[in-house]
Amino acid sequence: MKQFMMIFLGADYSTVGQSPEQMQERMGKWFAWGDKMAKAGVLRSGDALDKAVRRVSGPKRTVTDRAGSEIKELIGGYYVVAAKDMDAVVEIAQDYPDYDLNGTVEIREVMVFDK
Amino acid sequence: MPNAPNNADQTQLIDHLFRHQFGKMVSILTRIFGLAHLETIEDAVQDTFIKAMGAWRNGIPENPEAWLTQAAKNRTIDLFRQLKSEKERAPYFESGPAAIAINELFLDREIADSQLRMIFTACHPALDPRDQIAFALKTISGFSQSEIASALLTKEESVKKRLSRARNMIRDAQLAFAIPQGNELSDRLPRVLEVLYLIFNEGFHSGQKEMLVRKELCAEAMRLCKMLVDHKEVCSPNVQALFALMCFQAARLDSKVNELQEVIDLRQQDRSLWHFPLIVLGNQMMFMAVNTEEMSVYHYEAAIASEHLKASTFEATDWDRILMWYERLQVVAPSPFNSLNMAVVHIQRNDLEAAKLVLDSVVPEDLEQRAYLYHGCMAEYHRNRKDKAEALAAIEQAIQLVTNEHERSYLLLKKEKITAMR
Repeated sequence: MKQFMMIFLGADYSTVGQSPEQMQERMGKWFAWGDKMAKAGVLRSGDALDKAVRRVSGPKRTVTDRAGSEIKELIGGYYVVAAKDMDAVVEIAQDYPDYDLNGTVEIREVMVFDK
Repeated sequence: MPNAPNNADQTQLIDHLFRHQFGKMVSILTRIFGLAHLETIEDAVQDTFIKAMGAWRNGIPENPEAWLTQAAKNRTIDLFRQLKSEKERAPYFESGPAAIAINELFLDREIADSQLRMIFTACHPALDPRDQIAFALKTISGFSQSEIASALLTKEESVKKRLSRARNMIRDAQLAFAIPQGNELSDRLPRVLEVLYLIFNEGFHSGQKEMLVRKELCAEAMRLCKMLVDHKEVCSPNVQALFALMCFQAARLDSKVNELQEVIDLRQQDRSLWHFPLIVLGNQMMFMAVNTEEMSVYHYEAAIASEHLKASTFEATDWDRILMWYERLQVVAPSPFNSLNMAVVHIQRNDLEAAKLVLDSVVPEDLEQRAYLYHGCMAEYHRNRKDKAEALAAIEQAIQLVTNEHERSYLLLKKEKITAMR
């Protein structure tokens, strides 16, 4: 089995104007999805990421702070899953809860080097 | 390996946890920072849910509510720093050790107290009645603008206007965030009950197609009313009577509409769908509520509702007793709607002369956009007199005036029946 990372790109939740009720409902969908993957035994790891962003870039190691709300496609979190191939992960990604908020799942295979 | 939620219980949160938590936290923080900071506070509370959505992805904490409360406390301290650095006044912190004071406000009893303060703020007489409803739903019940708009069958834009008008009014008038005491309490309480009853009726009588939305409005009104019942100083026989009335009405909610979302009148309702536990609760409440010399509108309306619930079939309805309650209601709160109801009762009792007398006393224009009710009742009167032509003319007028789709189809059905008369 190969491992793949699903990277979640989307709007900062605080800018999309959801009510507490809608947030709770959305969270229920995240739970259900996590649960489904865990039961299928494919979930390896994963976390949600806080919206504060600090970047270090360039030869001068320039440090910049950016608020999540300024970034159009903020990385909100990731899951690593075990699967046969990309197509199988596309199948898993069908249940990602944030498509209605124009969210995106980027699927990347985790590279493995032979010893 | 993440601690993915593997226990079925852990993947379920209590219904409306976030919504109710929102109301609690906004009320507590408002007590700490003052009404002037309401918008900042609402955003801050919203933030704690966003945090929870990320942090709980791999498993719900053992006590989600405590987690959220702690997050709100932390936000409070952040906010305090932020507001202090803006050199803003944070009244609560001017006296006493702040940390201890904050902790005390998060105790259950104080939470209830804070929420009651918010209810009295929302229902302050300085606010326009329609703004009061929108503001209460937003601030105490955590509805979003679009949820309020759909619940009240209005545009989101107008909800936005109402909310900002209410906020401005509260800020400009520098309303105290407090539960009124003594005489002021008895002056202000009636309006609070009125607003809660309006919210309830928005759910109970609404033309809203979604039963879920209607139930939520009724449930919110009942939750807020229960808070008044549970507060020693605020609770009064009138508060209990309103709560009893809401229980009695809510017990019938499921039977009011069929699967096709059509309105079903009392005669056709499936009485086995009436929710018995609510009737019991209403009876208990009513038992306490009658412990007074002066009966209110809510007492009489609850008495009428309970007469209907007592009848095992429509035919078994005790119309004489209902008429008696309506007559008493008419003494404490005369209204043309009440007159119409009395006319309906007279028709049920086959006393057409009395019905006519009452109907003649009603000026349809006084009923404003609900004047169709008058013509509907007229149609019923003429139908019982076997005067088909007059009945048809009246129902036609009712259909022309009605705006609510549900009511329209109900009237159209009635017209068919009249047309079928011989």
